[in-house]
Amino acid sequence: MPNNRTATPAVALHGITKKYGRLVAVRNLHLEVIPGEIFGFLGLNGAGKTTTLRILLDLLRPTAGRAFVFGRDCQRQGLEVRAMVGYLPGELGLYGDMTGQELLDLLARLGRYTVQPEYRAELLQKLQLSRSDLGRKLREYSTGMKRKLGLVQAFQGDPTLLILDEPTEGLDPLMQESFYEVLFNVQQRGRTVFMSSHVLSEVERVCDRIALLRRGELILLSPVEEVRRMAARRVRVLFSQDVLSGPSRLPEGHEVLEVTPRSWSIRVHGALGSLVNTLSGLPVKDIEVYEPRLEEVLMKYYREDSL
Amino acid sequence: MNSGLALLLHSIRRIRTLVLVMAWILAGFQILLILAASVIQESNGFGQLAGLLPDFMRQMLGPSLIALLSFSGIVCLGYFHIAVIGALIGLTVVLATEPAGEIETQFMDLVMAHSISRHWIITRTVLLILGCTAFVLAAMMLGTWFGLHWLAPKEAIQPTLRTARALICNLGVLLLCWGGVTLVMTSLARRRSVPGSAVGLLALASYLVDYLARVWKPARSVSWLSPFHYFNAIDFLTSGTLPPRDIWVLAGTAVCGCGLAYVLFARRDL
Repeated sequence: MPNNRTATPAVALHGITKKYGRLVAVRNLHLEVIPGEIFGFLGLNGAGKTTTLRILLDLLRPTAGRAFVFGRDCQRQGLEVRAMVGYLPGELGLYGDMTGQELLDLLARLGRYTVQPEYRAELLQKLQLSRSDLGRKLREYSTGMKRKLGLVQAFQGDPTLLILDEPTEGLDPLMQESFYEVLFNVQQRGRTVFMSSHVLSEVERVCDRIALLRRGELILLSPVEEVRRMAARRVRVLFSQDVLSGPSRLPEGHEVLEVTPRSWSIRVHGALGSLVNTLSGLPVKDIEVYEPRLEEVLMKYYREDSL
Repeated sequence: MNSGLALLLHSIRRIRTLVLVMAWILAGFQILLILAASVIQESNGFGQLAGLLPDFMRQMLGPSLIALLSFSGIVCLGYFHIAVIGALIGLTVVLATEPAGEIETQFMDLVMAHSISRHWIITRTVLLILGCTAFVLAAMMLGTWFGLHWLAPKEAIQPTLRTARALICNLGVLLLCWGGVTLVMTSLARRRSVPGSAVGLLALASYLVDYLARVWKPARSVSWLSPFHYFNAIDFLTSGTLPPRDIWVLAGTAVCGCGLAYVLFARRDL
């Protein structure tokens, strides 16, 4: 994680609340993103992630509270803020009769930034969008191609802050890899990334810290490493012979999910060392470790009243 | 390049086909009317047409009958025919609802995520309405000029330039008025069809109210609310004078609508 804690936060949310009539989309959200970090913004659908991102871009006006990007008020100094930001919306609204090239050029002109042709070409090459792809009408683009084009337009101005709403949605695994490469590259050059995601493996891999929203409320704000330690893994122990007695004495933090003569399924909080000790002397054939899925982690937090 | 200008050029590129087709059709309609008027004129048919009308209609129409059943009247009809007005208002509504369309398709998110002021969305739309309206009206005038120059019989009494100018001016501000009204609704809407259909219905209702007021006195108490009340081409053709009040009311409504749209759009969630 970048050590810029004393610098002006890249993103600062002070008591942000957004209401739509009686529905509270975001409630009293306090959050700071450190310059140079990749920050993951998590939550189930309707948790308020996109609403928060759109408040930062002044697309939405908060009912209460203030949002800042590098010390500038997102609502009062919106133009200055947006000049520093590259944004990938969750859903790309594109006109089918435009070509990819026309869209990129138009958005570059709207942003009033100079696009370095070499940098754009590098992005296009990494995300495998060819010149002929850019010459095609957007109605002919697949979902993945649209997403890639969205990423290029967000990155092409080399902005100080990137706000990405579900950036890998619709990308194939190879493209996801390429995207992570681009992400690490911009982080190395000191840029900050504020991204929402549903994919825990992605968040674990690229994010320094995460925030978790539940029904508009922040319920977790933590470095990824700490969350990883908190999350339970599912372990499946396979035996080469029938083991008739179940696991009678499991270490603390271990929970039996399913027992058959040839396998045990156990939920393990923390390190696996003590489980391995417990299994010594048993005819263990194999041990399968399942990393927790995002939904499992989220549900755990959603069920808890407080953390 | 200025980001507002870039947005304007993008919009022009998107609607150019529609505007060009509309301009061709309406210019063609003017030529068609002149052709029809020429045929009637050459066969001395205007007098016969007036004679075919029943007495009560002649009494009801009064001097406007002379204005309409003449070569000049038929030529001018091209600027106040319901089909022409309907098409032009339709075009204005399409142009004025573009911001709502951009919100609906979420293209607005991409645009407004860049360093561009919100007022440019409305300014762009206003410029688009002004430019496209002027272009189509100019095409109509060109059609009239072409028709009168090449197709009109020598003996036909042609409408004066002043008449044509006044009609165009009145029609232009009527369209701007509807543009202003549509912009207000657009700046509150999330879907293009909402202001589009609302203004369409409003235009139809106000046209009917104004029409009704001409034949039914009680309707006159509310007809002043209709923009069409301030676009009385037949009266103008009869009297030869265009009340400045009509222009001011329509232009004032257009300006107020645009002003309100700026305020509403600046405050709204996108």
